[in-house]
Amino acid sequence: MYAQMIKSESSNDDPQALAEFQARIDRGERIEPKEWMPEGYRKTLIRQIGQHAHSEIVGQLPEGNWITRAPTLERKQILLAKVQDEAGHGLYLYSACETLGVTRDELFEKLHSGAMKYSSIFNYPTLTWADMGAIGWLVDGAAIMNQVPLQRTSYGPYARAMVRICKEESFHQRQGYSIMMKMAQGTPAQKEMAQDALNRFWYPSLMMFGPSDAESVHSTQNMAWKIKINTNDELRQRFVNETVPQAEYLGLTVPDEHLRWNDDKQGYDFSEPDWDEFFEVLKGNGPCNEERLGARRKAWDDGQWFREGLSAYADKQAARRTAAE
Amino acid sequence: MALDGRDPVQIDDALRPALFDWLCRLGDNALILGHRTSEWCGHGPALEEDIALANTALDLIGHCQMWLGLAAEVEGQGRTADQLAYLRDAMAFRNVKLVELPNGDIGQTIMREFLFDAFHFELLTALSTSPNTRVAEIAAKALKEVAYQLDRASDLVVRLGDGTEESHARMQAALDHLWPYTGEMFTADAVDTAMTEAGIAPDLSDLHTRWTATVKDILDEATLTLPERRFDVHTGGKQGRHTEHLGYLLAEMQFLQRAYPGAEW
Amino acid sequence: MVTASTDQIWEWLAEVPDPEIPVVSVTELGIIRDVRWDDDTLRVAVTPTYSGCPATAVIDMMVEDKLREKGIEKLALERRLSPPWTTDWITDSARDKLRAYGIAPPVNGTASDGRMSRAARLAGSNLTIECPRCGSTHTDKVSQFGSTPCKAAYVCRDCLEPFDYFKCH
Ligand SMILES: [Fe+2]
Ligand SMILES: [Fe+2]
Ligand SMILES: [Fe+2]
Ligand SMILES: [Zn+2]
Repeated sequence: MYAQMIKSESSNDDPQALAEFQARIDRGERIEPKEWMPEGYRKTLIRQIGQHAHSEIVGQLPEGNWITRAPTLERKQILLAKVQDEAGHGLYLYSACETLGVTRDELFEKLHSGAMKYSSIFNYPTLTWADMGAIGWLVDGAAIMNQVPLQRTSYGPYARAMVRICKEESFHQRQGYSIMMKMAQGTPAQKEMAQDALNRFWYPSLMMFGPSDAESVHSTQNMAWKIKINTNDELRQRFVNETVPQAEYLGLTVPDEHLRWNDDKQGYDFSEPDWDEFFEVLKGNGPCNEERLGARRKAWDDGQWFREGLSAYADKQAARRTAAE
Repeated sequence: MALDGRDPVQIDDALRPALFDWLCRLGDNALILGHRTSEWCGHGPALEEDIALANTALDLIGHCQMWLGLAAEVEGQGRTADQLAYLRDAMAFRNVKLVELPNGDIGQTIMREFLFDAFHFELLTALSTSPNTRVAEIAAKALKEVAYQLDRASDLVVRLGDGTEESHARMQAALDHLWPYTGEMFTADAVDTAMTEAGIAPDLSDLHTRWTATVKDILDEATLTLPERRFDVHTGGKQGRHTEHLGYLLAEMQFLQRAYPGAEW
Repeated sequence: MVTASTDQIWEWLAEVPDPEIPVVSVTELGIIRDVRWDDDTLRVAVTPTYSGCPATAVIDMMVEDKLREKGIEKLALERRLSPPWTTDWITDSARDKLRAYGIAPPVNGTASDGRMSRAARLAGSNLTIECPRCGSTHTDKVSQFGSTPCKAAYVCRDCLEPFDYFKCH
């Protein structure tokens, strides 16, 4: 889940209009950019889609870390294409955000200043090649779990972006799993790397869904607006149910001694991640927060002359065109 | 995927070593430039550039696979494209020095891409009608991607050269820095001459004429000045005499294959 | 042993979706170049879309799985590079499906030729891309590349929809 703990904004709109808006959503209608929407709905969406977009962009970094060291030409291609996809997802999502009346530059500004967040998962380091497998398998897997229901979200451009994004994410998950498979069936050293990657990424992946929000007022409002479709706990449970058999198939051990199948709920019982750690990571105290945000800020600052150059040229060309007419 | 089955050499068998060497030049240029380009992943000056640079790197790695795959077939020693990429040391690499230089700022990266693409485009255009059909079809395939890479790089050189004072100064500095490395692309040695005489490859001096026309044209539109110094100061890459930078690049690229010999990934 | 007609094989292959844009099949994209029997071996020639396309290996695997599932025993896949793939080979049916999926189909004859001129730069893009959602031609390019190499990102100035354009190649 790339959007964690999205607070809903309150709306001071006319109650009549609000009720009609809610009725449209309840009927399953899609809300389109030029239609009326409550201010709170608009702001909450910007926060959620923006955070999702930031996650795609920052998410280039942990995997980008291994592109130059990919072990075969084909793996290098697959990883490059995946990172390109993630940047492309960022582009879709920023564009979807722009339909709500905010610019991409404003969103970047908020990312760089720390006013907006990106998913906690990308603040963990990628230490071995097996992490490329673990990220595709677990992180893209968790993202899919969250994003598949969002294909039915009430906001049109977001829902349609999700449809295309989900197809590509499943492709990523498959490729990640194939890396894990090779490693798990490889030499003892490769298998050890694979197990170690699972050990390190398991709990951070569970954290991607955010802490339990069944009681949260924000969650209730966002669910009424169909910006959120399932509770965090539901999605986390689904993820565990789906992933544990995959780990078993790989011959790897999920690092949770309390993990067991529960026949009554037809799902696994499992240990909660360390939520203190999660909140520390959100606060900026994760292993890679400074590096990740620092890298994005540096890219932005170093690129300023480049962007200014392009826009100066565009202005000159516009003037030349006018002069030629 | 089954091997092609058609004869990859298609010329006098005595030319096999030269053909192998020459194919490695094509493959290594694509591999090393692709590697450098991929270093930008996630660090580009705008989201559009992150995407475009990843894409350019992807194309180049794809070209490298085709060329090194054919080189391995020509060599006939049972090596694969991966083995050529990951298990040769610096002195066996055959790329020009231009492509192994560190990226510098984004302006230098784009200027390098432009100078190389303008050569690459002419080379592949000529090779796409080579009588060696294996060479011709790889060239024709790669040419389609190199055509849009060249269009993109030229466009950026023009826009940044004719942008702000700062972008102009940076592009001029990039050009001045890279210029003495460009001559190597056109300096023919025994391998190039053998390929030209066998009718497989074009004459490098013809390519040079066409390259100069394109480069002059674009630099002029970009309001940049052609450097006066010699353009063939730094040569030797094609013969395996590289800059200090290549060793570090390979140490990084080949790390896993070297640390875990024989493992499958 | 199954010895189906090549027409039958083409129909089976039409069931194999493109892994990244699953609304269109590999045959509609024009990447299956040839299907023929060579004694009791079925030979299928596949061409890559882009040189660096990482979906190529996945497509080979999906083609193989499909044909095995249909009972083909002896199968040889060939990589065919020539003539290089072009978006002109995408069928009309696939173009409609792309549009319905939110991707504007390629405008034939507009591939880069490496010779973009000063005049063309001054004129700006003369390519008119229709918004796949509302049909408006009042659209702007946002990025030359999208999430996959084949696509560029556009936005519609009328309905505001961000959409992909499948570039001519
Ligand atoms: Fe993504
Ligand atoms: Fe992904
Ligand atoms: Fe992709
Ligand atoms: Zn529209």
